[in-house]
Amino acid sequence: MRYRGSVLFWQLLILVVLLASWEWLTGIKAISRTPGLYWIDPFFISRPSLIARRFVYLLSDRVRLNLWQMTLSTVQSTLWGFVVGVSTGFVAGLVLGRNDRLARIFAPYIVAFNSLPRIALVPLITMIFGFGLVAKIVLAWTIVFFIVFFNTFQGARSVDADLIHSARFLGASERQVMRTVIIPSALAWTFASLTPSISFALIGVVVGEFLGGESGGGLGYLIIQSLGTLNAADMMVALLTLGLIGIVMALGIKQVETRLLRWRPEYRKSA
Amino acid sequence: MPAVSGVSFEIGDEEFVAIVGPSGCGKSTILNMIGGLVAPTAGAIEIDGRPVSGVPANVGYVFQKDTVFPWRSVRRNIALGLEYRGIRGEAQARRVAAAVSMAGLEGFEDAFPATLSGGMRQRVALVRTLVVEPEILLMDEPFGALDLHTKLDLHAELLRLWGERRQTVVFITHDLSEAITLADRIVVMTRRPGRIKMVYDVKLPRPRDVIRLRETDEYLRAYGEIWHVLGEEFAREKAR
Ligand SMILES: Nc1ncnc2c1ncn2[C@@H]1O[C@H](COP(=O)(O)OP(=O)(O)OP(=O)(O)O)[C@@H](O)[C@H]1O
Ligand SMILES: [Mg+2]
Repeated sequence: MRYRGSVLFWQLLILVVLLASWEWLTGIKAISRTPGLYWIDPFFISRPSLIARRFVYLLSDRVRLNLWQMTLSTVQSTLWGFVVGVSTGFVAGLVLGRNDRLARIFAPYIVAFNSLPRIALVPLITMIFGFGLVAKIVLAWTIVFFIVFFNTFQGARSVDADLIHSARFLGASERQVMRTVIIPSALAWTFASLTPSISFALIGVVVGEFLGGESGGGLGYLIIQSLGTLNAADMMVALLTLGLIGIVMALGIKQVETRLLRWRPEYRKSA
Repeated sequence: MPAVSGVSFEIGDEEFVAIVGPSGCGKSTILNMIGGLVAPTAGAIEIDGRPVSGVPANVGYVFQKDTVFPWRSVRRNIALGLEYRGIRGEAQARRVAAAVSMAGLEGFEDAFPATLSGGMRQRVALVRTLVVEPEILLMDEPFGALDLHTKLDLHAELLRLWGERRQTVVFITHDLSEAITLADRIVVMTRRPGRIKMVYDVKLPRPRDVIRLRETDEYLRAYGEIWHVLGEEFAREKAR
């Protein structure tokens, strides 16, 4: 308990020092009293006080698309991309992981597709799905699928053969072996891929929003819009919000993971 | 080079057979063939006159390695066989509870295997196999990794359970005392490729007292005789 308290203390201290020096450094003039000339120009990196003001403003109803709506849009697309990517990647990983022939047949296609830079797919996805929610989900999916697939595949392959044999001797059918041995055993591997998956789903969605314009909405749109108006403060608002989304989602995954993998010694203490 | 060669023997109903032999002589291989995990390259395995192909329904197997499912609690590990057979609810709970007390694991029902000692895990593996009442029990050095005290405990336990149910047991071990304590018949194997060197009939009466029995003449005689034969194998191994 004391340990956790001191960790939190240091985390907050770092945050305060960071914000304070940011505010202070961007306030020093190069030539005193001359407007505009700073040692470190807030034009490029803004200032915490300014960001806070823009934050409040963007949350208000005075803007057409407020921060709240944009955040919701980004979160929604990310979650969809994540859920679709994880579930399809998981199933594909299990199936190919337990079937050597299929794995061999599909291997070159999987490697080829996975080595495409996803950003190169954006124009094609836009051509097919337009600028909206679906395009963003598809883009996130193309990344998340492979991360989860490869992990689950490895997990399904490395299931201890003697555990499978034990299940057979206890009378398990193929399906029961899958449910009671292979899935639980592969899950530990799958979980290792979920936190990176959330980050990559966010990447996919934000890239989609860069191109999507107002119809897609979202924080990526806010960033591009701020670039158009050279507004560093708004950009920082978008970046900070994205960071917050990432933290909240990663914590959510950690919760589920600690529950489902509580049989592992390394999770017992924190549970 | 085959793992075993020219191995031929019959095991009677309700008989307790132990197989001893040097490491790598093919003991596990024989058990895996009986259990249908590997097919013999030549020859055949028959159970009740029918050739074995695939895992037979009435066979239980306790592996050399720890095969308790780490993601399931003790209770849910023991329930596995019942779950696979669609036995649920009250009936399942009753039989699991009986198995838990049979294994002396009361109070640990909800513990995960990672929190148990090796001996406790092996007990779980044993009763998990017994709870579905197999007619044939294959055991591959199930107590190999345990200390003597725990081992003797489990010997007594196993003999008691076997006395009640009378499965046909094939028990692999490299511990001669263990073989004599438990078995009706001991098959001694040569080094690789394993052949049958000798079959010894243990004439100790049942029920057996796992501690006192080591002081009997028959135990000492059996030990001496089998040891002599095994010693020849070890010597041949060295001479190679
Ligand atoms: N999967 C396998 N493929 C090929 N050879 C194997 C395989 N498993 C075991 N062997 C070989 O077969 C021989 C017999 O192995 P087995 O595991 O049956 O020995 P064992 O008598 O059970 O030994 P131990 O007492 O050490 O458990 C060994 O020499 C080993 O090298
Ligand atoms: Mg072996």
